[in-house]
Amino acid sequence: MSFRYLTLLLVALATIVSTACTAREEARREGCQIKVGIVFDIGGKNDRSFNAAAWEGVKRAEKDLPICLYDVEPGNPTSIEPAMRAFAEKNFDLIVGVGFAQGPIMQAVATDYPNIKFAIIDGVIFEADGKTPKSNVASLVFREHEGSYLVGMIAASKSKSGVLGFLGGMDIPLIHRFEKGYEEGAKAVNPNVRVISNYVGVNDAAWNNPAKGKELAIAQIGKGADVIFTAAGNSGAGAFNAVEQYGLNAEGEANKFVIGVDSNQNGDKPGFVLTSMVKRVDNAVYDAVKETLENRFVGGFHVFGLDKDGVAYAMDKNNEKLIPGDVILRVETAKKDIIDGEIKVTDAMAN
Amino acid sequence: MSEFFVIFGILLFSTIRLATPLIFAALGGLFSERAGVINIALEGLMLAGAFTAAVVTYETSNPYVGLLAGMAAGALVAFIFAIAVIKFEADQVVTGFAISMLMLGLPAVISSRLYDASGATQPIDKAFLLPEIVNGLPWISILAFLLAPAAWYVLYKTPFGLRLRAVGENPSAADSAGVDVYKLRYTAVIISGILAAAGGAYLSIGQGSFFTKGMSAGRGYIALAALILAKWKPIPVLLACLFFGFTESLAIQVQGASWAKIGGEDIPVQFIQIIPYVLTIIVLAGFIGLSRAPKALGIPYKKGN
Repeated sequence: MSFRYLTLLLVALATIVSTACTAREEARREGCQIKVGIVFDIGGKNDRSFNAAAWEGVKRAEKDLPICLYDVEPGNPTSIEPAMRAFAEKNFDLIVGVGFAQGPIMQAVATDYPNIKFAIIDGVIFEADGKTPKSNVASLVFREHEGSYLVGMIAASKSKSGVLGFLGGMDIPLIHRFEKGYEEGAKAVNPNVRVISNYVGVNDAAWNNPAKGKELAIAQIGKGADVIFTAAGNSGAGAFNAVEQYGLNAEGEANKFVIGVDSNQNGDKPGFVLTSMVKRVDNAVYDAVKETLENRFVGGFHVFGLDKDGVAYAMDKNNEKLIPGDVILRVETAKKDIIDGEIKVTDAMAN
Repeated sequence: MSEFFVIFGILLFSTIRLATPLIFAALGGLFSERAGVINIALEGLMLAGAFTAAVVTYETSNPYVGLLAGMAAGALVAFIFAIAVIKFEADQVVTGFAISMLMLGLPAVISSRLYDASGATQPIDKAFLLPEIVNGLPWISILAFLLAPAAWYVLYKTPFGLRLRAVGENPSAADSAGVDVYKLRYTAVIISGILAAAGGAYLSIGQGSFFTKGMSAGRGYIALAALILAKWKPIPVLLACLFFGFTESLAIQVQGASWAKIGGEDIPVQFIQIIPYVLTIIVLAGFIGLSRAPKALGIPYKKGN
């Protein structure tokens, strides 16, 4: 054992890391009119779900608009604030924070840099009085309970057992909103339906634990659930694996299904994915960038419900054969009734 | 009665699946710690194995090649850890923790280079995952069960095991008896890397079908707890891991079960989620007694002292 081995190893390691970093520098960063920075949630931008939708939005903006885009994926919750402050120090024009966990941090940073514009997804930022929305922050929030109500209706219509599963990631009020809406939608179709709700955990590791997600989904299937709605980031993929493994009848047809979340996940395990409760985070982020560029930025709350297609159920060639036309008709009627205020879906975060 | 067997069967398989990664990691920790090296790096070694196995299986469509590659990656990372703590006498707890932290970030950097996707690797088709004996019971779990008696045999019935234990208790004495303390500790730490990585590989190419950042979710630390609970002995390690697997499995099964009611109301989920922790405290406080670590655990060996 000598120093030579160690040096060799360190050099090898450093080479891997440095090539990986420099390769991302793109030449496109010239001639841009505004600088946009985005700080992701712990799930990371490739969670095929919530963060991926935000990433999709800024990437599209980078393609269409003369902006320079910088992104940070924090390794742990404590590195969110330094990342956000680094963007602010460099006088970025717009800083986007992804996820409710960044709320308190953005509250502090946006107060320290009143001339910089901010946007937060799934969070609301107030002035110090706790009532007036902060003028330099656009709080982009979604009416997830409305979209969840519609996929709940689809789930209850599809279920033969009358037992549905709900798989949440971290046990927080935001995810209860998905759960409650789903349950209400399901009961609107079949009042006797039973919803089994499970949460992966109580800290942010709950978004990245597919093995536990799979165990919970297997347990739900064991208790008779034949449709499982996931709102669990990367952990949700465990439920996709579980229905693929346990969801075939003797004829080789799918008889257990999952419902994806945030991004359109219908193509992840085609045939087993009933639909996805998409949250158009991409559109909301894209608009925030565009408005900043065109000097039309408006602070305060921006609420995206069924009316603005901020939430929706995803239909495409992967799932069109799974949902009969009369179910779609019924769901569309309910959608109209929710927009008109005829149906009131409980918002679990309202109290 | 038949319902009892169904529930029993579900619990049994689920316990085995949940315990499998713990058994690999804890037995890995056993080798390292019996030789006197505290191994907090288990979490990072699992992640190294999980990541490499997922990437190699995706690229080669062969889970066995993926498993071996994962174990090799575990050996490599363990070797780096060993150089730091054995040759350079760095603090074992701090270094181990650093390795675990590094493995939270490094896979993301590499996968962003490979797939332009930093959070997770590409999903692997079900046909290329580690095979199962029956639905829900993978072969690698059986391997984990066989590994415990094998570890017992190696530690207590072979000259290598005797030397390894001696090095963990009294390295100076072992040295004067002609045992190469350094070489043994390197070997022990590398074995722990190989085993922990196999546990990690199970998460990404057995139970799961891709790697995601930090997917071991603290299992390396639970394995360490199991090791202490088992007083650093192979067969009790197996039982302790099964116990942890069982408590988690129980918590999963009780949540939302139709019989889990008090006065007609569902038992609150939060209450059920504390079951594993409460049971662990009861067992630790009530049934275990004094847990004695290897004497030289955590102390770097300096020749001639």
